[in-house]
Amino acid sequence: MTWGDALPWLVALPWTGAVATLALGARGPRVAGGLAWIVLIATTALAVGPVLEVARHGPFSYALGGWPAPYGVELRFDHFSAWVLPLALLFVLIVPFSWRYLEGTIPHERQAPFYALLLLNAGAMIGFTISADLFNLFVFMEVVSLSSYALVAIAGRGLAAWAALKYLLIGAVASMLMLLGVTFVFVLTGSVNLADVTARLAAGVDPVPAATAIALLATSFLVKAALFPLHVWLPDAHAIAPSPVSAVLSGMVVKIGIVGLIRLYQLAYGSAAFEMAGVNMLLVWVGAIAIVMGAFLAMVQNDIKLMLAYSTISNVGYIVMGLALASPYAAIGGVAHVFNHALIKVTLFLAAGALIHATGFRTLTDLSGVARAMPYTAATMAIGAISIVGLPPTAGFVCKWYIALGAFQARQAGFGFALVFGALLIFVYYVRMLNALYFKPALHDAVRNATEVPWSMRAPMLLAALACLVMGVLGGVPLSFVEPAVLDMLPAWGP
Amino acid sequence: MLFSVGLYMIIAKSNLIKKVLGLNVMQTAVFALLVTSGMIDGADPPIRTAATSAPFANPLPQAMVLTGIVVAVALTAVALALIVQIHADYGTIEVDELKEAP
Repeated sequence: MTWGDALPWLVALPWTGAVATLALGARGPRVAGGLAWIVLIATTALAVGPVLEVARHGPFSYALGGWPAPYGVELRFDHFSAWVLPLALLFVLIVPFSWRYLEGTIPHERQAPFYALLLLNAGAMIGFTISADLFNLFVFMEVVSLSSYALVAIAGRGLAAWAALKYLLIGAVASMLMLLGVTFVFVLTGSVNLADVTARLAAGVDPVPAATAIALLATSFLVKAALFPLHVWLPDAHAIAPSPVSAVLSGMVVKIGIVGLIRLYQLAYGSAAFEMAGVNMLLVWVGAIAIVMGAFLAMVQNDIKLMLAYSTISNVGYIVMGLALASPYAAIGGVAHVFNHALIKVTLFLAAGALIHATGFRTLTDLSGVARAMPYTAATMAIGAISIVGLPPTAGFVCKWYIALGAFQARQAGFGFALVFGALLIFVYYVRMLNALYFKPALHDAVRNATEVPWSMRAPMLLAALACLVMGVLGGVPLSFVEPAVLDMLPAWGP
Repeated sequence: MLFSVGLYMIIAKSNLIKKVLGLNVMQTAVFALLVTSGMIDGADPPIRTAATSAPFANPLPQAMVLTGIVVAVALTAVALALIVQIHADYGTIEVDELKEAP
């Protein structure tokens, strides 16, 4: 038994758990919530082994059904796939937070399906990260998307359904673009296995359809990642969903697009069949615009969750810009920011959820002065805020520093300045938020007399905030996974 | 071509049901393209009996399209369920009227 044999279980475990949760849900939401938590802890424990293995011996794979690649379906665990560990770990934090949060927001009979959907979502995201097959990427992406649509709609009635439907229509078009891209690749190369496609593209194909395929796939992933001009579905969906779901959507589901983009880069760089410079230049510009526009739009929001949603758009801009600058430092920073942003955004959304849960208000004006009544939550919010701005002792600093270094390394100093400018704008709106929470007098009695949330909500939130601080000091750990993978991927940049 | 028709329907139609139908047209277009990619002129079905011989048609696209159809059905089901919910709450499924609703 090797670690390769464990790979299918990383997907199968949460999915089996989802079915079991639904079946046992009749015994009440507590059973369902507890079961979901146990399953996720088991999944996390299972993910530790492959991650250590990849750190020690490098990538490995598993052929489903015993059919060797390129004929069978292959699961491949490489350095990028180490992302499954923080992914599962964040879910472990989010589920206990949901236990109490759901009581006030979701009808009793919908709570068991909520946990089942969450598990389905987690399993599909893990599957997306470890599959080495374009068509499987499509299938897993669809499962992630479908469960996300349902999770957005689960809480409310009309308004939530309308936000979910907008998300669904745009997401479905993006999925079809992806399937069209996969079809093009398949027709061109007769294969959907990533490594095989890379080899066959390198052997030489007609450049025009190949470029079309790449463009289709890239567009699809960028819609899923909500890069700036393609972001319209995101704010509504993320703001209206229940807070734990917003954390999942903003922290992780958006990153599925980024992981897809990374796979696409591996394919394009590996085959060297394309001149990626033009695409990269476009993405760098779009990324820079996304950073600034996202920050501007976040600045004018009063609703705390809308603000966080726009901040996600800005941060996706950072990641894409880092990847597209294509210098080692920038790409390392960009990929590491996938992980760090997930951590920070989960922290922020959980804290925002706690504020909304305890007071019933969601705008900054209404929430002003809440820090006195809820010191823990406000402290979490503050740590999350300074992390996302990228002040030194926190998680956000390391990646932004790397991306900025990378901009200079790629001789594109202008984009380094765009990054700093974006960080300043982000700083402005988070200062506004902290100012409201800490220093303004309370407007409502409900805020003045708010009680701190129960420990099952407080503990995950504080742990996440602690992780933000720890990752600032131990920033080298994710980098040690990202670095070999990125250096493998990028062409033409020597060590 | 069908793909563009579907895309046009999603963008231009204001009725939500018609948007979903547009989505289905688009999906069908992609599936048709994908399934024909397995065809080889004069090929036999890929089932080995005494009567068939190489060249065989590629069975892989059919498997992929089948999976794709399942995904499409699930997508349509979720979309229609959401539309039912919207109709129950707002009494309309026209986008123009929904925008005016708070």
